[in-house]
Amino acid sequence: MAQSTGKQDKTEQTAVDNRKVFAYKVGIRFIRSIAVAFWVTVIAFTLIRLVPGDPASNRLGVDADPAALAAMRKQLGLDVPPIQQFFNFFRGLIQGDLGTSLQFDREVSDIVFSALPVTLWLIALSVVISIVVAIPLALFVATSKSVIVAYIFRSSTAIAIALPNFFIALILILIFSIRFEWAPLLGYTREFPGNLEYLWLPAVVNATTLVSILARVLYSSIGDTLREEFVETGIIRGIGRFRFLWYYILKPSLAPTVVLLSYIMGVMLGTTVIMEAVFSLPGIGTELIAGVFNRDYPTVQAIVFIFGVIVVFFSFLGDLLAYWLDRRVKF
Amino acid sequence: MSFKKFRRWMDEPGNSVIFTGSTMFVIIVLAGILVPFFYRFGPYDFVGEPLQAPNSQFLFGTDQLGRDVFSRTFHAVYLDLGVAFLGVAIPFVTGTVIGIILGISKSKRLIALISSIIDGINAFPLLILAAALIAFLGPGLGSVIIILSLTNWARYARIARTKAVVVSQQNYVEAAYTLGYPRRRIIRKHIAPNVSSETIAYGLSDFILVILLVAGLSFLGLAATPPTAEWGAMISEGRGYIQASPWVTLFPGAALCWAAISLAFIVEGLNRREGKV
Repeated sequence: MAQSTGKQDKTEQTAVDNRKVFAYKVGIRFIRSIAVAFWVTVIAFTLIRLVPGDPASNRLGVDADPAALAAMRKQLGLDVPPIQQFFNFFRGLIQGDLGTSLQFDREVSDIVFSALPVTLWLIALSVVISIVVAIPLALFVATSKSVIVAYIFRSSTAIAIALPNFFIALILILIFSIRFEWAPLLGYTREFPGNLEYLWLPAVVNATTLVSILARVLYSSIGDTLREEFVETGIIRGIGRFRFLWYYILKPSLAPTVVLLSYIMGVMLGTTVIMEAVFSLPGIGTELIAGVFNRDYPTVQAIVFIFGVIVVFFSFLGDLLAYWLDRRVKF
Repeated sequence: MSFKKFRRWMDEPGNSVIFTGSTMFVIIVLAGILVPFFYRFGPYDFVGEPLQAPNSQFLFGTDQLGRDVFSRTFHAVYLDLGVAFLGVAIPFVTGTVIGIILGISKSKRLIALISSIIDGINAFPLLILAAALIAFLGPGLGSVIIILSLTNWARYARIARTKAVVVSQQNYVEAAYTLGYPRRRIIRKHIAPNVSSETIAYGLSDFILVILLVAGLSFLGLAATPPTAEWGAMISEGRGYIQASPWVTLFPGAALCWAAISLAFIVEGLNRREGKV
């Protein structure tokens, strides 16, 4: 009797310990994310200081009115000492004030809030397509015994990763938008079901790369999982097919894919810039490029900052999810 | 190498893929060297009627300004591959050196500082950071090389650091210390070669990414700008005529795909040899 309560105490104790370890790990990871976010801020802040010469006279021309130059410097926040500038920049970010655009005298935060949803929709759609295709594909290839299937899978994914997405996009536009008129190019609508008509083709282009990367990683980790002893146990115990696929094969194999997916989300922000340019979508990438061409320093700075923060957030989320899926993961 | 030996080499896993990839790569590099020297039309000459379909005189047709697409496509090789090569080589060297220093450094403060800067830089997608820096440095291929040298080293440094930590704890390094070799020699002869094998492997796949990045930035009008004969810029210029005259876009695009795929095959073959895939 005494023995059994002792055992129970012990399991309870382990559960508490586990929770403590989990909280501790999440805390450490969170602090690291904050540290990275700090450097993201510093880098975004430093960007404008890389301009050769004076940003204000670059923007207005060398022989501009001195008063206008001074006003421009004030608008860019360059009229005070650097430490003060960083402090102001940082305070602005915390208050949600990203500065004023130099193009239309609009608040940068307005530009971001109107453009960001388009980009996030595109990314979400690309990720959904990729997951829906990549998981069954990797499962099929990893569980099939055929050497030829594996060979075709590896070669075609290697090629797909190396293809330039903007070129593929142009070819697909030629086929689907111009020849068949299935994907309209002009007149983007923001409402939910309507926007899918415009977003599906860029999402498919994004997904070609993403599917290949995810399926390759998942394929190799399923290969590792299949060599584990518990899989054999599962087969011997005669677990139901779907239960077996999820608990015995997919769940232990997903962690590397999830970590990678969260990293890829960040990379996708980059490729999305090109997709938005090709498909003329009014997303944040289009705003970034317009800002780059117009030397709209505050807009570029703010968008870079937001991209950095999004990436840091996604990688935090990805690590948490990976840990939840597989406690063997370290972070 | 005799033919028999070559056959045996090709039978090892991955080697046939490496062979295909290297052959493809050599072909495009050779074309990039030979065409500018021996072809009768220059890349910026107006040689005929605009938008002619490929024919016996103009193998790839002519573009919207009557320039020869064949000449332009292969003139772009040295620009695209050259810029990408510098954009990989410079960060490879600096990143590996910084990574090794971090890996064997004993100063906790230095490690914490540099590695958080590395994490900060790596938090940005390369294309975003490059586009933003171009806003401040101005467009051009020179800017792209500067930008890649400033940012891309962080990825190499992270890989090099992880490897350097492992290598510096190996027995042969300990043995070298015990034998009383100077630190410089140990780093150069024992640590650096083992670390750089890892970063070279990454560098090869990074080469693909950087080629695509340079072309992508040029496509957006941020790196090479018209009239430069560069694949991304040519694709961007030809976009407007893609329906009626697809050859203006398709040939530079195909060359870009060819170059990227050839490198992808080499990477894939090397992975298979090491049994990674």
